[in-house]
Amino acid sequence: MTRGAKGWRLAARLACALAVATLFLFPIYWLAAISIKTPEEIFAYPPVWIPSGFRLDGYVTLFRDGDAWAVWNSLVTAGISTVLAMVIGFIAAYSIVRYRTGGDHLAIWIISQRMIPPICVAFPIFLLFVSLRIVDTYTGLVMLYTAFNLPYVIWMMRGFIQEIPLELEQSALVDGLSRWAVLWKVVLPMSRAGFFATAVFTFIFAWNDFLFALILTRSDVITYPVQVTGYFGSQSTFWSKIGAMSMLGVLPMIFVVGTMQRFIVRGFSMGAVKG
Amino acid sequence: MSQSSSIGRALDEQRAFKYLLVAPAVFVILLIGLYPFVKLILTSFQNITMFEDDHSFNGFVHYARLFGDERLWESLLHTVAFTAVALPIEILLGYLLALLFLDPMPLKRLFVAVILLPTVISPIVAGSTWRLMFDHRFGPVNQIIAFLAGGEVKLLWTVDPFLVWPAILVAEVWQWTPFMFLILLAALSNVDREQLEAAQIDGASWLMTFRKIVLPAIAPVLFVAVLIRALDLFRLFDVIWTMTGGGPGTRTETISVYAYQMAFREFDISYSSAIAFLVIFALTALVIFALRRVEIAR
Amino acid sequence: MPNLQLSSVDKFYGDVHAVKGVSLEVPEGEFIVLVGPSGCGKSTLLRSIAGLEEISGGDISLGGRSIVGLAPRDRNIAMVFQSYALYPYLSVYENIAFGLRARKFSESEIERQVGWASELLAIGDFLQRFPRELSGGQRQRVAIGRAIVREADLFLLDEPLSNLDAKLRDGMREEIKRLHRQLGKTFIYVTHDQIEAMTLAERIVLLRDGVVEQEGAPLELFERPRNRFVAGFLGSPSMNFIEVEQDGDGPGIRLPDGQIIDKFEFAPEFPDGGKLVWGVRPEHFSVASGSSADMEALIEVVQPTGSRTFGSFTLSGTHVVAELDARAQIAADQKASLSIDVERTTFFSAETGEAC
Repeated sequence: MTRGAKGWRLAARLACALAVATLFLFPIYWLAAISIKTPEEIFAYPPVWIPSGFRLDGYVTLFRDGDAWAVWNSLVTAGISTVLAMVIGFIAAYSIVRYRTGGDHLAIWIISQRMIPPICVAFPIFLLFVSLRIVDTYTGLVMLYTAFNLPYVIWMMRGFIQEIPLELEQSALVDGLSRWAVLWKVVLPMSRAGFFATAVFTFIFAWNDFLFALILTRSDVITYPVQVTGYFGSQSTFWSKIGAMSMLGVLPMIFVVGTMQRFIVRGFSMGAVKG
Repeated sequence: MSQSSSIGRALDEQRAFKYLLVAPAVFVILLIGLYPFVKLILTSFQNITMFEDDHSFNGFVHYARLFGDERLWESLLHTVAFTAVALPIEILLGYLLALLFLDPMPLKRLFVAVILLPTVISPIVAGSTWRLMFDHRFGPVNQIIAFLAGGEVKLLWTVDPFLVWPAILVAEVWQWTPFMFLILLAALSNVDREQLEAAQIDGASWLMTFRKIVLPAIAPVLFVAVLIRALDLFRLFDVIWTMTGGGPGTRTETISVYAYQMAFREFDISYSSAIAFLVIFALTALVIFALRRVEIAR
Repeated sequence: MPNLQLSSVDKFYGDVHAVKGVSLEVPEGEFIVLVGPSGCGKSTLLRSIAGLEEISGGDISLGGRSIVGLAPRDRNIAMVFQSYALYPYLSVYENIAFGLRARKFSESEIERQVGWASELLAIGDFLQRFPRELSGGQRQRVAIGRAIVREADLFLLDEPLSNLDAKLRDGMREEIKRLHRQLGKTFIYVTHDQIEAMTLAERIVLLRDGVVEQEGAPLELFERPRNRFVAGFLGSPSMNFIEVEQDGDGPGIRLPDGQIIDKFEFAPEFPDGGKLVWGVRPEHFSVASGSSADMEALIEVVQPTGSRTFGSFTLSGTHVVAELDARAQIAADQKASLSIDVERTTFFSAETGEAC
C-alpha cells in the first residue's frame, strides 16, 4: 500500500467517525437546544434547528419554583451513598480476597444480588421502608442506593485487590503496620485507580436511578429523573422544563466524561473483562 | 505464656478482623436483598390486594393465575422479542464501531468521549429526549424523514402501534451501543498482535483469522457483556415509561412495566409477588444455564 | 531457491528514521543474525522483510523479484515470534497445521507434514494439548514446528529464545543450529544477545541507530572490529578501553598510571602528540611470572566462575576486567603481575572510535 492509499483510508475513517459522533451527539444537542429556546422556537413548525439566543428562562423557572431541589436531592443521595458503598464494599472485598472469607460462596451470593430486576423486589422494599418510616427521606434512599451498589463495588474491588502483590502487604506488616493500617495505607493507595473508577460508576448508577426513586419518594426527596417524568402530562407537556431539568441531570455526566474518560473506559471494560 | 496460645490468639484476632470487615456489607445486603426476597415469596402465597389483607396461607392460587394471564405472557413476549432484536443490533454496531476506532486516529479520545455520552446519562433522560425527538410535529425525526422522502410526513412514533417498538428500539440502541462498543474495543485491542501477524504470515484469510483467533480471544468478554446487557434489557422499564408508558394500550408493556402496574397501580400485591418470583426464577435459571454452557465450552 | 537482497532500505516512523539505507545480500541457505542494542532497527528490518511493516524507501527482492507491496502471505516466508504467538484456542496439532489449512492443503498432506515436523522437534507426545499446558521450551518447539511445515523460502526468527531461561536457551541454540543444517534454508535471526549472535551466525550484521556498523563472520567481527562500538558490543565481559599515550619517541605506549608497555612488533601510529584508545579483551590478560610481566595491577575484586576467574582493577580511573586462569593465584587487595597478548589487541582513534 502506498502513502496515498493510507492517507485516504485515514480520511475515510475520520469521516465515518465524525458521522457516527454526530449521530450519537445529536439527540443531546437537541435536548440542550430545547432548554435554551424561546417558547415560540420550541413550538415552531417546521422546527428551529439552531436556537436564536441563549435563553435561560427554563432554568430560571426551575430554580424559582423550587423544582431544582430535585437535582440537589439527587446529588445528596448519590453522593452519600457512593461514599458509603465504597467504604463498606472496599473492606468487604478486601476480606473476601485476602482471607477468603466465605470462600467462593459469599462472593457469588453477593454478585447474584445484582441480577434481580429492581421491580421484583420493589414492593417488599417499599413495605420495609414504610415500617421503618423512611419512605421519602434521605436516609431511606441513601440506604437503598448503598445496598443496591454494594454488589457492584465488591465485585469490582475484588478484582483490583487481587492484582496487588501480597508481598507488599506482608512487607508492611513486617514493618510494623497493623492489619487495619495496612488496609488504608497500602491496599487503598495501591488500588486507587480502580477505586476511583468504581466510585465514578457507583455515583452514575445512583444518579441515574429512576424506579426506586419513583417508589420510595413522594415530595421531600424527589430526585431529578422523577421530576422530569412529572412534566409529561396527559394534557400538556412542559417542553422547556423537560429540557432544562434533563440538562441539569446530563451536565454532571458531561463533566464526568470530559474529565474522567479514562476511568469510565476502564470501569466499563474491567467490569466485563473481570466479571 | 505458651507459644501455642499466643498463636491461637493471633488466629482468633485474624478471624475477628476478617468477619468484622464483611459484616456491614452482609448486613446491608441481607436487609435490602434477602429480606425483601423472603417477604416476596411469603406474600405470593398470601392474599393481599387493595381491598384485602389476608395473611393466611393461600396455596398456589396466584401461581395458577399466572398461566391464564394473557397480558403477562404478552408482556413477557415483548421483553424477550425486544431483547432478541436489540441485542444483536447493539453487538453488530458496537463491533463495527470498535473496528473503526481500533487503530490510532487523530481526535480519537474526543470521538470516543462523545460516543459514550449516551451510555452514562439517565435512561429517563434518554427516553425523554427521544420522545421529544420523535414528536410528530415539533421533533426533528419526522423532519429529516420528510426531507429524505421529499414530502410531508406525519408519523406518530409514540402512538402508532406499528411505530412504537421501532422508536423504542432506536432509543435503546442509541443509548447502549456505546457500551458494547467500549467493551469490544477493549477486547479487540487485547487480541495478541503477534498472533495476528503470525496468522498473516501463515496466509490465513480474513474469515479464518476472525473465527480461529479474534473470536475465541474476545468470546469471554463478549459473553459477559451480552449477559449484562441481556439482564438489563430484560428489566427494561425507564425508557418505555417515558416514551410510551407501555401504550398504546398494552402494546409496549414489558414484564417490568406490567409488574409495576400490578403492584403500584392495581395494588394486587400478592399476584405481583408471584409475577416477580416467576421472573427471578426464570432469570436465575437462564443465567445458571448460560454459565454452565460456558464452563462446558471451556 | 532464491537469495534475498535489500537495497538501501529506509523506514520512518513519523519523524523517527528507524532504518537508514540498509543494504544487504543474503545468499540462499545462509544463517544470518541481525544483532544490536534495542532500538537499532533490527526488528523493524525483519518485519519489513516479512511484510508486516511497509518500508519507506529502497527495495527488497527475493530471487531477483521485488516483494515490496506483497502481502506477507504471498512472500512464502515463515516466522517465529518472540512471544511464540501460538494460537491459544487451538491444539498443538492445529497450531502447526494452521498455515497448511490456510493454504488449503489436503488432510493427508497436513497429517504427513505435521508428523514430520513433530518428529523432527520431538513434540509428538503432546500434539493434542493446548499451548497453555506446555512449558516454555515446548512452546518454543511448537512455534518452530509451525514455521517449518510450510516449506517456506525464508525463515525469520524474532528473538525466539529471549523468553526462555538460561539453561534452556543454551540447548535450544544448538537445536536451532542443527535445524538450519537439516533444512538448508535461509535463516534470518534477530537478537540483542551477542552470545546468540556469535554462536549461531554464519554471518553477523551488527546494527546501531538504523545503520549497519559492520557485517561479517562472527570471529572476523570479534577479532577485527571496525570500531569501538562493535568491539564493545561483542564479547562478555566487554572489551576494556584504556586511553594511552606514546612513550616519548620509543615504540612503546604509556598507560594512564605511567606504566610503559613496549613489546609491540608494529608500534601503533599516534596522531601528533595525541592519544589512542587501546582495546584489550579480558582474555588478552594472563597472570605472568617474573620477567614476562607487562604490568602490575592492584586487584580489587575477584570473581571465580569455576572455569575462569575474573579479576578487576583500576588504571587511573579506568575500570579494567581481566579474565584469568581459574588456578591463578590472585586475591583482592593484592598486587598481580599480568602479561598482555598485545598482538591481539586493537587500537582505536580517540576521536572517531574507528579502528587504526
